[in-house]
Amino acid sequence: MSNAYLADAAKRLAQAFIVILLAYVLTFVVVSILPGDPITNVLRDPQNGFSEDEIKAIIAAQGLDQPIPVQLWTSLSHFVIGDFGLSMRSSRPVATLIAEVLPSTLILASAAFAIALLLAMTIAYGTQFIPKQLGQGLLRGFPSFFLSVPNFVIGLMLIHVFGFQLGLFRVIAPNSFWATFFAAVALGIPVSARIAEVLIANLDKESEQEYAAVARGRGLTQMRLFAKHLLKPSSLPVVTVIALAIGELLGGSLITETVFGRTGIGSLVQRSVSTQDLPVLQAVVSLAAVVFVLVNLIADLVYPLLDPRVKLVDGPRERPSTADDSATAKSAAVTS
Amino acid sequence: MAAQDRLTADTLTRAELIAPVPLRPLPLLRVDGLSVCYGPHEVVTNVGFELGRGESLALIGESGSGKSTIARAVLRLLPSGGHATGRVAFDGQEVLGISERGFRPLRGRAIGFVPQDPANSLNPVRTIGAQAQEAAALLDEADKAFRKQLILETFAEVGLDNPRRVYDSYPHQLSGGMLQRVLIGLAILPRPALLVADEPTSALDVTIQKRILDLLTRLQHDLKISLLLITHDLAIAAERANALVVLKDGVIHEAGRTASVFSSPESAYARKLRADVPALNPDRYAASRDRGFHAVKTGGGDTPKIDVGAVTKTFIVDGKTLTAVDDVSFIVPAGTTHALVGESGSGKTTAVRLLLGLEQPDTGTISVAGEQITGRSPEALRAAWRHLQLVYQNPFTSLDPTWTIERLVREPLDRFRVGTSKERVARVREALADVGLGGHLLSRKPGTLSGGQRQRVAIARALVLKPDVIVLDEPTSALDVSVQADIVEVLLSLQANLGLTYVFLSHDLALVRQLAHTVSVMHRGRIVEHGTVAEIFDNPQQPYTRSLLASIPSGIAGAAHLPQARLRLMATAD
Repeated sequence: MSNAYLADAAKRLAQAFIVILLAYVLTFVVVSILPGDPITNVLRDPQNGFSEDEIKAIIAAQGLDQPIPVQLWTSLSHFVIGDFGLSMRSSRPVATLIAEVLPSTLILASAAFAIALLLAMTIAYGTQFIPKQLGQGLLRGFPSFFLSVPNFVIGLMLIHVFGFQLGLFRVIAPNSFWATFFAAVALGIPVSARIAEVLIANLDKESEQEYAAVARGRGLTQMRLFAKHLLKPSSLPVVTVIALAIGELLGGSLITETVFGRTGIGSLVQRSVSTQDLPVLQAVVSLAAVVFVLVNLIADLVYPLLDPRVKLVDGPRERPSTADDSATAKSAAVTS
Repeated sequence: MAAQDRLTADTLTRAELIAPVPLRPLPLLRVDGLSVCYGPHEVVTNVGFELGRGESLALIGESGSGKSTIARAVLRLLPSGGHATGRVAFDGQEVLGISERGFRPLRGRAIGFVPQDPANSLNPVRTIGAQAQEAAALLDEADKAFRKQLILETFAEVGLDNPRRVYDSYPHQLSGGMLQRVLIGLAILPRPALLVADEPTSALDVTIQKRILDLLTRLQHDLKISLLLITHDLAIAAERANALVVLKDGVIHEAGRTASVFSSPESAYARKLRADVPALNPDRYAASRDRGFHAVKTGGGDTPKIDVGAVTKTFIVDGKTLTAVDDVSFIVPAGTTHALVGESGSGKTTAVRLLLGLEQPDTGTISVAGEQITGRSPEALRAAWRHLQLVYQNPFTSLDPTWTIERLVREPLDRFRVGTSKERVARVREALADVGLGGHLLSRKPGTLSGGQRQRVAIARALVLKPDVIVLDEPTSALDVSVQADIVEVLLSLQANLGLTYVFLSHDLALVRQLAHTVSVMHRGRIVEHGTVAEIFDNPQQPYTRSLLASIPSGIAGAAHLPQARLRLMATAD
């Protein structure tokens, strides 16, 4: 790893930090201009029985009588040091609430991701090795089929078949191994489809490249050709797809957790939305932004390590320009 | 060598079983009744030839002749959809019908392959060393360090200067010539009995081409490898092969020993192929070339059409200053052709970009038809471009495939708002007629045209504004020899009829000799030698010019340095 790479990586990291702050500010502004005032809703609820003075005191204590920019600044400066404030509904720290449910979601998402990768690799491998007469076409249809069936339908089907019919897991124990496994399968299947689509298209393209024919002429078996030559260049675009798929895992976990009755970030968000618990929502949305930015940052940082032709930052490329490039440039210049 | 000896021993037993009393040695490769189809479309029809041990045979033809397809069928590397029928016997063993599992032991170890396009023939994301290890793995050698040593020795053997650096490099870090050496090294490393080389030099500069061909000839001799050479260049084939097979549209038109096919071709196609090779016919167009020249010389004034004076251009690349064009001067009289000759990186492309005003020189002046090009505003340059047009190198990439021919040729008229739309269409038809294309092509798209027709369209596009000067950037290097001859004729007749001045960029000296009047030889940004074509070609002064001239394939005359042993073998085989 060269110094230039590290310097570029540091630059990217700084950019990522700014993007996260901007995402926080945007969320804050959107929440502020939304109609409805949850604070007043809660405080003025006759069942809670606060007097006008008490209400004023609470609002002043929370700093909610300040102008929006001041509130934003306070909230942002707390966010930077990891303080998300208190939940309005339970009065417990938001950080604690999230910390309680995060492991469950992380387990589900990483299991789903592992299943998605495995499934995508298996399908892609099959399309390269299974002969046409033995159902290669069927296998090639899998990704588009997976993408066209909604996540919750897959979940309900899995619950019906493996939960009720085969009795592999019990719906009332959503954190058991098999329940988690099938929730992860439901979540991972659409993600695997995206990865498989890109992987298959690239494997098809790479196996038609001249270097693949030359390597075969060197006496490589089909298996070695796949493992040593085709897999790596075909996987490069998959890195980008994976970064996008992480977003899908986040969104999908919300639905999957509801379908399988699991507690997690998804169920926390669902509860917070229905009770207008703004600090929790603000924290979760910001957390999602952090995850997204970090995953894309990692994808960008990993790419140049995998592909020797790519440099992290745009600049003079090492690739020698070909005659065709200059001809195109000239063409554009002369005819304009 | 051990593997090869064993192979030969096996073969002898097998050969004895098949034919107890062989009348002559079994050929290493025997192709018989080979046909190749893509779906219902037959691209190779009933082709047969024999290649003896240690001999070389060239398959010659233009693109689409099926020569590469035959090579791929022999290697069993046809693209998906391709289907070969007939018989291919390697070392007496039928290999076309056997299973992939049965054929794999021959791949690399017995049959080596040197591909056409070095830039795309190595995996871009793996190091050269990792890919070389695959070739080395074909040898029965368990010790990895020893295999690496063998690879480094092979790299040195094929003339790579720094084998260790090459071993650790990725393909994009090496030049085309180096990559082709690597590929040859990987092919010869397992010491195959047969080497199939598919246009091994068509992507390379002339001096590198000669070095690569010399290398192949030497390795063939030293290692007793048989060579199946695929080329479109009859001069190269005649210089390097014992036997020639001339193909057109997938059918053999002529085959035989090089000496007889080359000196007295019987088929009309072989004769045409021979006539079209510039290296073999330096004075083919002398008459038409000089007619135009003299007409201008007697009638024209003294002001040169193009005057380039002491131009220097530097670029800063990665903090280092690179002088692309260094104190370059030349003049081109009206109605003549000036050739800028040089290899990749010689600065000829930058020189032309300066001439077209696409780059501004650091110092020096350039004027065209008495008007200064240097220091002009973009608007003033536009005016100059009406008289100064460019024909690009590759007609397969320079024409927008979604546009009709009419729109492509008309575009310059539209951009310069010349005449009414009726006049524009008439002008387009006129320009197409000038390059010998009929009006029926107007509504066609480039994809339906041949390479030669496309380059004619590109020339028509340059002609349509009635310029005085046309810059030709290697206008035939992407085309076959016979198509090249066709384009050269179009260019010469246009020059004679319209009095055009050409600036002709090329690395092909044989072609330059055919159509240029004056030459500047560029090397590392400088003009090392200049003069008339006769001066440069008949009496070169500079060593660099001499090395360029020595790189022109000279046909049968060059075959004198072919190893005598093989020529004798050839004679006894007959």
